[in-house]
Amino acid sequence: MGWMMDGLESDRYDRTYGDLNLVRRVLAYFKPHWKAMAVVVLAIVCDSAVSAGTPILISWGIDQVAGQMSNATIALIVGIVLAFSGMAWVFNYMRWRISARVVGDVVLKLRQDAFAAVTQRDLSFYDEEPSGKIVSRVTSDTQDFSEVVMLVLNLVSQLLMVLVLFAVLATINLRLTLVLLALVPVVIGLALSFRRFARSVTQKARRVLAKVNALIQESISGIAVAKNFRQEAAVYKDFQRLNQQAYRVNLIRGWTLNTIIPLLEITVGVGTALIVYYGGIVSLRGLLTPGQWYLFVQAMYHFWGPLTSIASFWSQFQDGLSAAERVFALIDAEPKVVQVAAEPVPKLEGRVEFRHVHFTYTGREVVLDDFSLEIRPGETVAIVGHTGAGKSSLARLIARFYEFQGGQILIDGHDIRTFDLAQYRRQLGIVPQEPFLFSGTVMDNIRYTRPEATDDEVRAAARKIANGEWVELLPNGLLTDVGERGGRLSMGQRQLVALARVVLADPRILILDEATASVDPFTEAQIQEGLEVVMAGRTSIVIAHRLSTVENADRIIVLRNGRIIEEGTHRSLLAAGGHYAELYNTYFRHQSLEYIEQARLLAAGA
Amino acid sequence: MEKREFTVANEYRFNRSGPLRWIASHILRYPWLPAATALLAILVSVLTSTNSVLVGRAFDLVAAPGTTPAMVLRAALVILAIGAGQGIAQLVRNLAVEMLAQLVERDARDELYLSLLGKSLTFHGRQRIGDIMARATNDVHMLNLMISPGLVFIFAALVGLIVPIAAIPLNLRWDLLLSPLVFVVLFVITLRRYVRELDPVVTAGRERFGLMNARLAETIEGIQVVKGSAQERQEQNIFLENARKFRDMYVLQGKIEGRYLPLLVLSVTTAGAFLHALLLYRQGALTVGQVVTYMGLLRLLGFPTFISIWTFALIQQGVASARRILHLINTETELDENPQGVARPIRGEIEFDHVSFSYDGAPVLQDISFRANPGETVAIVGETGSGKSTLTKLVNRTYDVTAGRVLVDGVDVRDWNLASLRSQISAIEQDIFLFSRSIADNIAFGAPETATMEDIRRAAQQAQAHDFIMGFANDYRTEIGERGVTLSGGQRQRLAIARAFLTDPRILILDDSTSAIDSATEDEIQKAMRRIMKGRTTLLITHRLSQIRWADRILVLRRGRLVDQGTHDELLARCDAYRRIFARYGVAAPASDQKSA
Repeated sequence: MGWMMDGLESDRYDRTYGDLNLVRRVLAYFKPHWKAMAVVVLAIVCDSAVSAGTPILISWGIDQVAGQMSNATIALIVGIVLAFSGMAWVFNYMRWRISARVVGDVVLKLRQDAFAAVTQRDLSFYDEEPSGKIVSRVTSDTQDFSEVVMLVLNLVSQLLMVLVLFAVLATINLRLTLVLLALVPVVIGLALSFRRFARSVTQKARRVLAKVNALIQESISGIAVAKNFRQEAAVYKDFQRLNQQAYRVNLIRGWTLNTIIPLLEITVGVGTALIVYYGGIVSLRGLLTPGQWYLFVQAMYHFWGPLTSIASFWSQFQDGLSAAERVFALIDAEPKVVQVAAEPVPKLEGRVEFRHVHFTYTGREVVLDDFSLEIRPGETVAIVGHTGAGKSSLARLIARFYEFQGGQILIDGHDIRTFDLAQYRRQLGIVPQEPFLFSGTVMDNIRYTRPEATDDEVRAAARKIANGEWVELLPNGLLTDVGERGGRLSMGQRQLVALARVVLADPRILILDEATASVDPFTEAQIQEGLEVVMAGRTSIVIAHRLSTVENADRIIVLRNGRIIEEGTHRSLLAAGGHYAELYNTYFRHQSLEYIEQARLLAAGA
Repeated sequence: MEKREFTVANEYRFNRSGPLRWIASHILRYPWLPAATALLAILVSVLTSTNSVLVGRAFDLVAAPGTTPAMVLRAALVILAIGAGQGIAQLVRNLAVEMLAQLVERDARDELYLSLLGKSLTFHGRQRIGDIMARATNDVHMLNLMISPGLVFIFAALVGLIVPIAAIPLNLRWDLLLSPLVFVVLFVITLRRYVRELDPVVTAGRERFGLMNARLAETIEGIQVVKGSAQERQEQNIFLENARKFRDMYVLQGKIEGRYLPLLVLSVTTAGAFLHALLLYRQGALTVGQVVTYMGLLRLLGFPTFISIWTFALIQQGVASARRILHLINTETELDENPQGVARPIRGEIEFDHVSFSYDGAPVLQDISFRANPGETVAIVGETGSGKSTLTKLVNRTYDVTAGRVLVDGVDVRDWNLASLRSQISAIEQDIFLFSRSIADNIAFGAPETATMEDIRRAAQQAQAHDFIMGFANDYRTEIGERGVTLSGGQRQRLAIARAFLTDPRILILDDSTSAIDSATEDEIQKAMRRIMKGRTTLLITHRLSQIRWADRILVLRRGRLVDQGTHDELLARCDAYRRIFARYGVAAPASDQKSA
């Protein structure tokens, strides 16, 4: 019976849009479909009218027969009942059919808009919002919204039918109608007071369920440890205790939720008894025909359904609006990265220049202040520094992922803000620390940044990285399925794919955030060879973690707190014995051959 | 009885020969609950029908001459009493069935969990944790929903179809059965068609929703790639395509649901019944009250008609869930506890004798032979996927060989008592798993009852973990995980080493793929690893050249084959693949003493 309880359990979402604005916004999406919606409304009205007509006709028929009616009249009554039944079904079908299509289209448009909005956001948006939340806004919230629309339509049709019935009843006997109406606040009051109670047990149940899930997730993820140490019994005991607790809490919830319907049934029983009594008394006085009395009894059954729905409806409606609001908030958010023009970008030389750049992510902590740097075309620059020194920020600003607050960034002498972003980014190659692959084959992934490339071009690009040896080791070569998020490839293999991507796209400027994750020595050797290939002949900005990279860079930029404190080559900087020498001892020393050779002594001395 | 690695005493045995039998055996474990539910459901239906009859009688009562208001009041009070009784019976029925549903959910989860504990690591290695979680949470809950409200509503619908119809000949006339019986026949036919039509559409809709979601999640996680290469348009097209596919199913589902024929069947047969009643009424064969009773009973058929729109879906989903859970439970596992096997202290000699291993029919290792003497360190190098970890997993029987033998102290591992073998082998996995408990509990995981605080501290010191542990506010009582501290890879690794110190194994399998990004941590890990390997036979998978360099023996694996084995100097002299690793350091080929660059 959970379906009836759904609305009774949820919390109201705090909204920032006014109700009216929101409704207006929602209606705007329905506007292109107004003709279809008009038909739906019409179908609902007709459906309600004919559905209410059937009990009315039956009651009329009962009274007619008392007067010994002819075959023709009987045929007419039954004929009309039959016609009404058929019409009700057809109207109902039209309503479902058309509204499903309209809602399907509206939700599609809403999803399309939401997704388009998502892809237009700059990366600061993705830092603030967990990806799961974004996904649920685009898919689940829009889904919730569509359910509420269907719910509204459903409820409106039920309500209309009850209204028609009541109007007819009121003309027959006002006092009896009032008796029926007196039950309305009782039913609604019951459902509402119950709602608060149901919410608290549901929250408890949700919490305990989360605990059970966490325990199962953790213990099964760590099953190898449990098995290696033969601790299955202890693990099982923990589980049993929690599972029993979950059972108890869920039982209380289930029992609570299951009382409401029987309680309402009892009210219906009371109502029926009242109608039978009052109706009987009034009939005895001859003020009510049997048919009319019958109609009152029927109305009793018809009206309690919509009433209980109304009680739960309001919160469900609020939820639907909140869901819609979350979607609109996504669509309406202002992007922070703003291009002042969209000038076409010719083939770049690759000169990158920072001029007095001021940059902060949050507005509070300043990452770069009055930062200036010039990188020549074709130069390989290694950027080193402690965590938080501003290394990645440099790379992100060049990629135009974030907006900077002061100064200028010039690419080949042009202000980066005047570029057509898509054209500009196509001339950038970005290799993040943990390369991201999409499901599909290795070939699809290499091609991702240049979808028009031919198979031969992809193959050639793959061969350029470490002689293509890594491809031979894949189970199906370039046609190997990489799995969700590239999960079937090792981290090292993913890096090789990312390097091949760069070779294929042949960008003018390469931004490389070197991986810190360790890779098996064979693959590592291949990556090293691949790196040399991709850095050749283009401007390369490398956030360096590998000793070989700093050793081979044209220039090393040493960053501390957003400032360049040293620059030069590996040898010159090491000889100077400044901050770089300290960084070397902290991050690079253990990658040297000397360290490898001395490892045995080091451990022996411990 | 199936093979299992873990069992408990007095386990309740369910019938696992099929999903329906399995569900039935779960329900029948508490026979009085389904029995009470069934009886009460019948009672509810009987009382409801009785009320229709009583309301009809009240009409006749009023129509009869000489009726007083007191008599009407008495009739109304009886109706009230029956109505209240019906509500109470329904309440008790709901409580009983709810209890049954929750018990079944609890038991099914317990049964599933216990069976998961008994499965081999081969099984767990193959199974994705997401799938297991889906079974243990969604599918188990679907069983609950299938019973309440699913099964109870179906039963109530069945009873709600039979009892009112049965009440017709009892209270009215036989021939009035005509329309209701026509209804039942047409209802069954149209309902079957409806369910058959709707089912594939709902399934397809769910699949397409999942597809849309999955791709969306991927795009968002990979947004940097998307934006960095200006592929937003491409992604928008893919998303639109997926969303449109889902939309089509949604619209189709609306069409099928709108076309629910049983509703039309009900209203048409009701019209027929009304005609029949009117004719009999005109002849005087029925009283007004009887017409009211008849129409009232027919109205009750609306309940089964309406709820059938969605209850069957619940049953179908429940059975599908049961099938999935059962599939997991019934998956055979190859290993068992082997309680009669060899159980004695291990010296630490390992020998692979022409070992081959296939996984799902695909060869992973082929014809591997090597030997490790007690106390030796054997480093295994090779690309990811070359079979390194699989090789080490054959020693503690995470997997069993397909051909050849793995010998520990000259005895085939399959002849060892599993508990004895595993308790003397410690495996430090690549992804070090720590439980969301205190640091002390994690270190003492292998010996929770016997380890003292003093032992734990000593193990931590040996593993170079003591210092960083003392750096936390609650030292050894610090919680790990979501509610506590997050540890770096190097710290996790040292805790795992401490865990191994405490159990003091003879054989150590070290899958060391973390890398320290700073040299100080690297120093600590070097020390901890040297210490734990000392005096134990160690199979070492490592990315650290400093460890490979000094191993007693190095195995070079490539695509599941052992291409070479020997010491560092031997391999440098004769193995190209091996030499390439050190190439960038300018290490020259032949050995002797000129190694430093």
